[in-house]
Parts: sequence; C-alpha cells; structure tokens
Amino acid sequence: MNPLKRELKDLEFKDCEFEPDALAAALQSRFPEWVDAGLRAHVAGCAICSDVVAIASAVDEAREEMRGRATVPDSGRVWWLAQVRARREAAEAAGRPITAAQLIAFACAVGLLGACFGATSTRFQSALGWIASSAAGVHAKAVPPAAMGVLVQHGAFILAIAAVFFLISTAVYLALGRD
Amino acid sequence: MFRDMTFSDVSRTEALDGTCAGFVMDEDTFRAFYERTARGVWAYLARVTGDRQLADDLLQETFYRFLRAAATHDNESHRRNSLYRIATNLARDARRRSLIRAPFSLSSNDIERAGSSDPRDSAERNTDFTHAMLHLKPRERAMLWLAYAEGASHREIADALGLRPGSLKPLLFRARRKLALLLGRAPEKEKR
Repeated sequence: MNPLKRELKDLEFKDCEFEPDALAAALQSRFPEWVDAGLRAHVAGCAICSDVVAIASAVDEAREEMRGRATVPDSGRVWWLAQVRARREAAEAAGRPITAAQLIAFACAVGLLGACFGATSTRFQSALGWIASSAAGVHAKAVPPAAMGVLVQHGAFILAIAAVFFLISTAVYLALGRD
Repeated sequence: MFRDMTFSDVSRTEALDGTCAGFVMDEDTFRAFYERTARGVWAYLARVTGDRQLADDLLQETFYRFLRAAATHDNESHRRNSLYRIATNLARDARRRSLIRAPFSLSSNDIERAGSSDPRDSAERNTDFTHAMLHLKPRERAMLWLAYAEGASHREIADALGLRPGSLKPLLFRARRKLALLLGRAPEKEKR
C-alpha cells in the first residue's frame, strides 16, 4: 500500500478550536506576519491548523492565478444569448401541446376510418370470419364458445378499438417522448 | 448550449420578439452580478472538472439556468450559493456523461501571466498544486475550493454539494489532509 493510502486509512477526524482563527488569518493574508504570537505558536505546533493555513494559502494563490487567466464572455452577450434561448425554448414548449393534440386527432381519425371500413367491407368481414373459424378450429377447446361468438360478431369493432388505443399511445409517445 | 445556436436560430427566435423571456432579474442587475461572480465560477468549474474548455461551456450554462430558475434571493450570499449549486450539479452531470476530457495542464505562457513577485516559484507551486488537485476526487476538489477560495461556510458547502452539514467537517478534514500529503507536507504523526 502506498504511503498516501496508508496515512489516509489510519486518519482519524480531529477538530481544533483555533481552526477558524487560523483560517481567517490565512484567507485575509495576515499569516504569519500580522497575527499575534500566540496564534503563530499554536499553528506551528498544531497539525490541523498548520494544514488549514498551508492549504488555504495554496488554494488562495491558485484562485488569484486562475481568476487572472479566466477569459469569460461579456455579460451583455451572455444576457442576450440567454434571452434568445429562453424565447426559443418557450416557443418550443408552447408548440408542444398543439403537436400532441394534432397527433391524437390524427390517430382518432385513422381509428374511426378503420372501424368504418371494418363494419362496411364484406370482404374484410369474410376474411375476419375465416380467421375466427380457423382459430376456433385450432383452439376449440381452449376458447369458450361464448367468447368465440363475441369475437366473431364484434371482431371488427374490437380490432378498431385496439387500433385506436395503439395509435393514441404511439402519438403521445412521439409528441412528448422526444423531449 | 449556446454554442449550438446558429444565426438562423437567432433570427427565427428574434422573430418571436414580444414573448417574454421570463427572467426575474433585470439586465442591469444580472450584468453587475455576472461581473462580480463569473471569474470565480469559471475558476471553480475549471478546478472541479479539470477541463478549461468544459468550464467555458458550463459557465454559460450555469448562468442561463440561474436566470431560468426564476428564484428570488434574500441577499447576495444566497444568490451566490444558488449559482454555485447549479455549477456543482452541472459539473457532476458532465462527469456522469463522461464529458470530462484530459485534465488541463498549465502552459508556459499561462505560468508567466500568473503575476507573482517571483514568477518561477509561483509557477512551480501552481503546477504542483494543479497536479495535486487532480489526484483528489471531484467532490473533494469542490469542497476545498468552496471552503478556501470562495470562503463558503460549512452549511453553504453542504448545500452546494448536496451533503448533510454534519458530515461536512470530517470530509473536509480528510480532503485537506489528502491534499496536504499530495503537496508533500509531513504525515500527521510526525508533526505533533
């Protein structure tokens, strides 16, 4: 195990009542010249406070250096771009419910057309009857006769309802799920 | 992000003029607040992520989300805390998405611009410090930076990092000791 890991493994949390004083002195750049001798002597002998002073001074120096190097965009540009983006997002958000409503209406129309087609087309009904009789032949024992009768009589209607549910859920997913 | 926005997007959205952006803060207040805090937030993001380019992107996103939050703040300190909380969350999200690229290193030009009474010593210290910081966990970096660069209280740090205030002191103690060891300071046992 490397020394760092070993040291950290055995580390026990300790507190020092002078830590806030040492920290304040370090952050205000008063340490070591502009603090009283008592605090200076304490920091020299206290592992916690000497760490606080060393780390706070190092971080403060790095902070000054980094702030000097930072090239941040102009505040006016940031404000303007934020405005533009907020408006764009607001426009998108406002458009979203309309899209959802349009998709749902389309799905309902398709479902309705499907139901009408199923109810009026003799060819479709005969095909459905053939499917139902084939299924009844295969699963005669598995499906109760009453249920089979309902399926044969109202198969088109049941299919249309299922299609509407499927289309509505797909439309809602497409409208809202994209975000 | 702002960088993804094209001029056609801008002109399209300008056509929507009249819709309110919905910011609680007015432009003058925002600009003054930005001038006071942007460099500090950038330095924080650069330290926590270890990536200057990412810090540039996250800085703009931070201020945008701050404006969009539409929260009212009691005072400047409260406002700054919100800003740092947003920055912390964005840095964390970026890390989760593995957006963090190779850690940045100080170039010789950067070092010369550091502006110290003894540039060479300062440069060496900063390079050591940068390398040591990169060996810490992002949360430890954030904690130390908020405590010692921003002078945030334990409660404020806990708030920004989503920690319990009671658990912050031991965590800060550990992070500080770890950094001290990485900077070559003597182990605790040898000091007393």
